Amino acid sequence: MTLQHYLVISAILFSLGIFAVLTRKNAISILMGIELILNSCNLNFVAFSRFVSIPVDPENIDGQIIAIFGIVLAAAEAAVFLAIILAIYREFGSIRPDEVDTLKG
Amino acid sequence: MVVPLISIILLSPLVAFAIFALSGLAKRSFPRQDLLSTAAMLIALVCSFFLLRDVVPDPEPLAVDWVSIGEITISMGFYLDSVTVIMLIVVTLVSSLVHIFSIGYMHGDPRYPRFFAYLSLFSFSMLFLVVSDNLLGIYIGWELVGLCSYLLIGFWFEKDSAANACKKAFLTTRVGDIGMFIGMMMLFKKFNTFSLYDGTQDGIFTLAAAQLTTGDMVWLSIAGILIFCGAIGKSAQVPLHTWLPDAMEGPTPVSALIHAATMVAAGVYLTARMFPILTVSSSLVIAYVGGITAIVAATIAIVRFDIKRVLAYSTVSQLGYMMLAIGAGSYVAGLFHLTTHAFFKALLFLGSGSVIHAFHAMHSHSHDEAHADDEAHEHDDHSLVHEHGSEIPPDQDMRNMGGLRRKMPITFITMLIATLSISGVPFVFSGFWSKDKILAGVLGRAMEWNSIHHYILFGIALLAACITAFYMFRLIFMTFFGEPRNQEMHNMAHESPWVMTAPLIILAVLSFPVVNHLWFNKNYVIPPEQHHLAAPQHAYVSPDTKTGDANFGFSFFGVSDAQAADEAGGKNGEKADEAYHIHKRAHDIAMALSIIVAGLGILLSWLFYHRRRFSAESVATTFRPVYNLFWHKYYFDEFYDGVLVALTVWKSRLFARFDLSVIDGIVNGVSTVTRRVFAAFIGFFDNSVVDGIVNRVAEVTWAAGGRIRRIQTGAIQTYLFVVIGGIVLIILIFRAL
Amino acid sequence: MEELSLKTFIFYGFALITIASAFAVVSVRNIVHAAFALMVTLFGVAGLYVFLQADFLAATQVIVYVGGILVLILFGVMMTSGRLEMRIHIQRGQLLLGGGISLALLMLLLTVIANTPKWENLTDDGLTLKPTTERIGKLILEDKFLLPFEVASVLLLVALIGAALISRKEIRD
Repeated sequence: MTLQHYLVISAILFSLGIFAVLTRKNAISILMGIELILNSCNLNFVAFSRFVSIPVDPENIDGQIIAIFGIVLAAAEAAVFLAIILAIYREFGSIRPDEVDTLKG
Repeated sequence: MVVPLISIILLSPLVAFAIFALSGLAKRSFPRQDLLSTAAMLIALVCSFFLLRDVVPDPEPLAVDWVSIGEITISMGFYLDSVTVIMLIVVTLVSSLVHIFSIGYMHGDPRYPRFFAYLSLFSFSMLFLVVSDNLLGIYIGWELVGLCSYLLIGFWFEKDSAANACKKAFLTTRVGDIGMFIGMMMLFKKFNTFSLYDGTQDGIFTLAAAQLTTGDMVWLSIAGILIFCGAIGKSAQVPLHTWLPDAMEGPTPVSALIHAATMVAAGVYLTARMFPILTVSSSLVIAYVGGITAIVAATIAIVRFDIKRVLAYSTVSQLGYMMLAIGAGSYVAGLFHLTTHAFFKALLFLGSGSVIHAFHAMHSHSHDEAHADDEAHEHDDHSLVHEHGSEIPPDQDMRNMGGLRRKMPITFITMLIATLSISGVPFVFSGFWSKDKILAGVLGRAMEWNSIHHYILFGIALLAACITAFYMFRLIFMTFFGEPRNQEMHNMAHESPWVMTAPLIILAVLSFPVVNHLWFNKNYVIPPEQHHLAAPQHAYVSPDTKTGDANFGFSFFGVSDAQAADEAGGKNGEKADEAYHIHKRAHDIAMALSIIVAGLGILLSWLFYHRRRFSAESVATTFRPVYNLFWHKYYFDEFYDGVLVALTVWKSRLFARFDLSVIDGIVNGVSTVTRRVFAAFIGFFDNSVVDGIVNRVAEVTWAAGGRIRRIQTGAIQTYLFVVIGGIVLIILIFRAL
Repeated sequence: MEELSLKTFIFYGFALITIASAFAVVSVRNIVHAAFALMVTLFGVAGLYVFLQADFLAATQVIVYVGGILVLILFGVMMTSGRLEMRIHIQRGQLLLGGGISLALLMLLLTVIANTPKWENLTDDGLTLKPTTERIGKLILEDKFLLPFEVASVLLLVALIGAALISRKEIRD
């Protein structure tokens, strides 16, 4: 296994996440895309930690710690996101992002 | 001890005034302002005597830095030498006596406490002026004195004449003050300091002395004359003397204070103080102004009937004498005359006040009535001329007096002593010695330099001395001798209470030179460096110096002059010796002549006004033009009214017309042109171009907004497309580069 | 191509599952299916973590993501979507544009990965790590990550309160 294996997987996950965010017509699907993006980032952190830091200093697992914080961030983000979605749903009766266009010029 | 003493001297009158001022804030006046002010003055007097003991020949300047502006530092401080201390004693003594006298004289006045507060401030101002070591301090004191004289001359401001007199006094002296200020600034520009003598080489005196030896004295002469202009105003020299007689409108104690100790003395003191910077030419100007003043004022005094006006012109004349002495180089004699004159002139004024007070009984002490009288007259209030025969208050008109010597013995005797003193009756009266010294100084200078100017000035001085004796005895004869001219008023007259007579007696004692001798017996000297500074252009030697016959009044001046002679002699002993002999001879001649002219004046007066051998009226008729000239005071007031005031009014009218026609015309024309031409053009420009631009911009913005707003879909994914697409695009571009 | 050992085989298996299920997340029309596909993806990532010898992280991934976030998402689906809303609408133009951008991004990333020399030839062969849990605990609770940890806890608190505030029913007065 090389670093590039993981980087390629991560890149694919990231692109899929972006694709979901750009194209899905459901707010919750967008949230799923964002989760994919976050996961790809975490995977990157851990992979770099494993292939770059640890060979130099086996005790150095800072990348993993950052990934943990990334998970924490994802949890917080998901909670707030869903709260916003609920509020939007109550206000507009829909969570389709193209129907929530109050700011339309 | 010097600093605490001088602080007490300065502060005690100031505190007395401050208590009055603060009590005004508290809306409740201090119960006994009169006693407070008097006590403050007496404290200052006592401290002045202590100071006399402590003063040292070579004083340390007591100065602190006051203001620093860039490179310039202005200091404030005291300079104490024998001249200062003598002035302090004169001022505090006369002021104290005037305070005491006022307790009686001003009794019952509605603004009684205020009067004493003003007196305190007046005394403080004068004391501050005297002890200042720099021109700026002197100027501050100078203007304060002017302010106080304004307040006190106009103390009974309900009277139009008093209100006008105080304005006149203030404005007239202001004319001179402008000159003084310019002179001060010239000195400051040149020497970069206001300090007169600060113990180092930086004082004005030291620098001026250097200037005098190196030549280039034109500007120094001009500065000296300009500073003397201030003294012309303050000390009522011709042509700015007209305010002083009008200042008689103030209460009589104020007149005494102004004439003896404070206001007019300031001018003489300043001139004497600045003596080291005076060049020969500026001295000559001073001497001529003084001489002319002496003779002009004396001749005017002959024909006055108002007892206070006679004394006022007498003061002007004597001040001219002092200026003459200073201008002739005998500044010590001038100051000596200032001190002796202070006492007998204060005595004369207080005596006349006593007489007026006696007649005041008729007026039941009421100034309100005088006020009512005045309003009834309603004379032209813009006229600056006040004294016409009909306007003399009856209680001041000598034609209503006569034979008062039995009614008012104390007043009579004391005033007689003062008259003998001012007339120059020989040997036992101080006035003789000081006047003799002035005459001797002028004649000595004339003989030493063989100067025609000084011979002329000596002649003028002699003539003025004669006239002085004449009119002073005329006053005495008309007031105290003969039969009462106005029986009704005579019956009402009475001797004044003791608070008024006591100062008279004290001042009478001080008119004898013995007292002066007691004061001045010690070898107080004017600091040698001042003589050194004064020496180069005025190698002046007193006639009395080396013989040591420093009899009576001028012993201490004799010592100081001897030092001056030594200083001069250091350079050229022979010349100094020669000068000494000349002055000695001049002194003998002057003394003889002064006795003769004084006797002549008294004799004439006796023949005219007591024996009635000649009729004054017939002489007046014979010399009608001359009499008119004297009676109208050389038409100075008429000249000022007719020419200066008229010129000012004419000038103002001219300017007003200029304003109305030319300036207003220009303004109106400009406005018309503006309205017709520019406004029309600008209006068109505004409507078409400016509005057009604004409207086009608005339309374009509106149209563009209508299209561009469609970019904003409000759908979040549109934005995301742009953002992410943009990022990808940017990365691609940068990778391609 | 290296030898196809069991470990390698399993790795590719996980990679395939992850990518395939992620593809399903973005492509299936039913949102509930998508959510379950996401769960598979998250499991796959956890498996990759195991391959990276990040044991604690793998467990956290399963617990937090699968046990927490995914449940949250499912709750969100339930509360916002009626039966009709279960299907995800897709517009063709948008699909093409989004696909293009995503593909361009993927190409870009792959180019970078392939052309960065210092990332080449880094392998994990011969390195067996100790379990990381103890070290992570020390790092977070007493070492240099204590402050970020506390900040993260505050962040969670803020998110908690904020979410509660935003999502509650407005009380109109």
